Amino acid sequence: MRPRLAAWAFAAPLVAYLLVCYAYPLYTNVNLSVRGYTVRTFVHGGAPFVGFENYAAVLADPTFQKAVVNTVLFTAVSLVFQYTIGFALAVFFARDFPLSATLRALFLVPWLLPLIVSASTWAWLLNSESGLINALLGTKIHWLTSPEWSLVSVTIANIWIGVPFNLVVLYSGLRTIPPEVYEASSLDGASGWQTFRHVTFPMLRPVSAITLLLGLVYTLKVFDLIWIMTRGGPSGSSTTLATWSYELGFGSMLPRFGPSAAVGNVLILVSLVAGLLYIRAQERA
Amino acid sequence: MRAWRTVTGVLLTAVMLFPVYWMINVSLTPARDLRRSPPGLFPSSPTTEGYERVLREQLPYFGTSLLVSVGTVVLTLVLAAPAAYSLAKLWPAGRRVLGFVLLVAQMIPGIIMALGFYGIYVSLGITNTVWGLVFADSTVAVPFAVLILTSFIAGVPDELLQAARIDGAGPWRTFVSIVLPASRNGVVTAALFSFLWAWSDFVFAATLDSGGALKPLTLGIYRYIGNNNQEWNSIMATAVVASVPASVLLVVAQRYVAAGVTSGAVKD
Amino acid sequence: MRRAALALLAAGLAACSSSTPAARDTFAVWDPYPQFAAESDWAKTIDKCGAEAGVKIQRQAFDTTDLTNKVLLAAQQRTAPQVLVVDNPVVSTLAEAGVLRPISEAGLDVSAAAPNLVSAGTLNGQTYGTPIGANTLALYYNKTVLTAAGVDPASIKDWASLDAALAKVKAAGKKGITFSAIGTEEGTFQFLPWFWGSGAALTDLASTQASGALELWKSWLDKGYAPNSVIGNTQTTSWQEFATGDYAFAENGTWQLQNAKKTGFEYGVIAIPGRTGGTAPAPTGGEFVTVPVQDDKATETTAGKIATCLTSPDRVLAADTALTYVSAVPSVQQHQIAAMPELKVWVDAVQNAKGRTGDNLGTRYPRISQPLWGAVQAALTGAKAPADALKEAQAAAAAAK
Repeated sequence: MRPRLAAWAFAAPLVAYLLVCYAYPLYTNVNLSVRGYTVRTFVHGGAPFVGFENYAAVLADPTFQKAVVNTVLFTAVSLVFQYTIGFALAVFFARDFPLSATLRALFLVPWLLPLIVSASTWAWLLNSESGLINALLGTKIHWLTSPEWSLVSVTIANIWIGVPFNLVVLYSGLRTIPPEVYEASSLDGASGWQTFRHVTFPMLRPVSAITLLLGLVYTLKVFDLIWIMTRGGPSGSSTTLATWSYELGFGSMLPRFGPSAAVGNVLILVSLVAGLLYIRAQERA
Repeated sequence: MRAWRTVTGVLLTAVMLFPVYWMINVSLTPARDLRRSPPGLFPSSPTTEGYERVLREQLPYFGTSLLVSVGTVVLTLVLAAPAAYSLAKLWPAGRRVLGFVLLVAQMIPGIIMALGFYGIYVSLGITNTVWGLVFADSTVAVPFAVLILTSFIAGVPDELLQAARIDGAGPWRTFVSIVLPASRNGVVTAALFSFLWAWSDFVFAATLDSGGALKPLTLGIYRYIGNNNQEWNSIMATAVVASVPASVLLVVAQRYVAAGVTSGAVKD
Repeated sequence: MRRAALALLAAGLAACSSSTPAARDTFAVWDPYPQFAAESDWAKTIDKCGAEAGVKIQRQAFDTTDLTNKVLLAAQQRTAPQVLVVDNPVVSTLAEAGVLRPISEAGLDVSAAAPNLVSAGTLNGQTYGTPIGANTLALYYNKTVLTAAGVDPASIKDWASLDAALAKVKAAGKKGITFSAIGTEEGTFQFLPWFWGSGAALTDLASTQASGALELWKSWLDKGYAPNSVIGNTQTTSWQEFATGDYAFAENGTWQLQNAKKTGFEYGVIAIPGRTGGTAPAPTGGEFVTVPVQDDKATETTAGKIATCLTSPDRVLAADTALTYVSAVPSVQQHQIAAMPELKVWVDAVQNAKGRTGDNLGTRYPRISQPLWGAVQAALTGAKAPADALKEAQAAAAAAK
């Protein structure tokens, strides 16, 4: 088989799959966002084309600014901590020791749990009256029920959920560094920290970059966790773009499909911009 | 020195898994103590009624979850591995665009995907089927699997592939006999994440499979979430019981990830 | 000869397939009771009603918050169920969407049900379903805690006496009252008895009476009579707090009666007092049985028969007992009181209750309820003063579409 033909033959199933699976939902969502839907026209059809009216309404809504700020804070803080903790753990596990494989596997248990269970457990722990965190710390902080702390609480829970992903990917990356590199470095007389700073960390840059980018994309989508813990409240203090999109579509008894889809598309656009910046940075490197 | 590492490791794992401990605590707590203030680290009068209910009622749902998760792993690998090989070694034209599309695919929130699928599934009549759910769950895993596998396969030394070509092997044989074994780490990692995503998926299950007899356990939990009341010890017990077999799978899989990439290529 | 026979056969088959489709023999019933599995009495009742109508039943249970959108999606794809049991405030939304058939056209008989309960499912003069039962809110109290604090529950007649009782309970070292003020429909549901009990109406959220109600709740948090967790409590969580035995009062619903017996302390129930006395009107909970629009009349008629069967006085007692609902039919209510005398308080409360979507609010209700729970949250967290929060809520409700 000629190389170019082989290349396309191997990739063709994926391309077909991508077109079928992702193009249609995207199209449906864009369609939802540019029409003025009522429940009646949603069921029976005939919703008028309203152009960017839904987007204008969403941008003018005071919740939008709050949601954007919350999204930025939530995402940035989550990423920084998830990555740092995940990296530190990966380095810790890089050298084998008794039980290391089992412990590493146990770190993935948070990902096994349905989100309703892990989010509810965190909500339980952070309850202001009967939660263990307040009992252990001796405080009376209103973790989930005050505008000051609600975003902090969901961020903590999100970091917890994100650490396993960072750990696994960065660990795999660490394990692909050939041992000869470390040997050469120690032969040169470099200390552990110097090796890390000048050898390990730079060699992991591509893996780090993709971990951070994927972390960004996934964190932007997070909504179950926040919804179950605080419903985006109180008073929108923990509402992000993802939770707002859901709230508009499913949060009241009379759904607002157009605005919900519009917010969803704004979210995808933000992700897209981040993705483009990543590609640009990659090309420059 | 290694013993210290083990001890530290155990401590770190304990801190990380503390919420899981709390989950087990709640699963053994009778209803009237659930909101005791101040809370206790141990249930003062433990009850096993949650577990009894789970073992009585939830086992079929575990079976379905297992079926769906394994199916998702298979489908994901079948789609992702050849494509990753192509992207990493065969370099088709437009591979940068493909890489970007794979990124964009992951940016779409799950609920939008589920709603988009719902219409098609209903018109094709494939709601409430196991493989319909497998297909939907794979959309979460495939782009990531391609990305991960591409970077792992890119790490396979070209000399190995050239050696195979000199021996007269075509692209397919090279793929199956050389590339796959050499990137075993990546395959296991991709399989791991696919399994985990499918196992804990709720959005697709709720939208596309909530009616049939074959429901995964994320929906089975709803037996304990009535319209006015929730039975938390049973809900937590379900999660605990469900995590046990999956954790065993995880431990087994991690042993494969421990081996290095190059060692796999040289030994096999 | 053979060729002609084959041709005739082919023509015959073609004619068969182009004639009217065979009548549907399996009916889909959707309800929001996932806690009832296939072996439960509820499921068996549906099967029996189906058998009487000559069809097989395929039942699907959904989470109640999911059900509305599921039905809308299904209706869009023309796969709506034949019989739908759905939460009462949602009925007007579905009716407005053209998903439900008015009962007069579906052959569903609601004459036996109490009018104040049916009004929640009425839109523009047409009724779209019948209640399977009703539940509402009242105040559970812990006899031990009240006795220790020297409070006589019979003395609680209005807000002032309730406040006095709470003060005594706090002085005795116990916690006062727990309820749910979460940022969802549940929160509005729990706030409404106080809202309506102050004399306010949903058409004007910013009235002085409404502020009075919200200030009452705020004062409880400020004085420590109610815990801060109410801001995040669901009704279940609030009940769990009451079940620990530390609280004197819990605002909760009929459905907790079975749980109340398991708490391990003696409990009682009083109606929620209005501001200046009397029983505050509480909102009606409970689901309606409805008939979604189908492609052919025969299916709808059969569905109507099944729905009537499910809500008929002789059948509905079993369903209401399983759900711990008060029946919507006055004669059946008397049976329930005879079997369980403690239900009298609840039957009285249900008779005084109001539908949230009644008074022709219909689909305006969701657009009022959401700003209302937002205002309650803002006031209770201290972010805004009650009067300001309600003023903003009223503006939002008036402007929403």
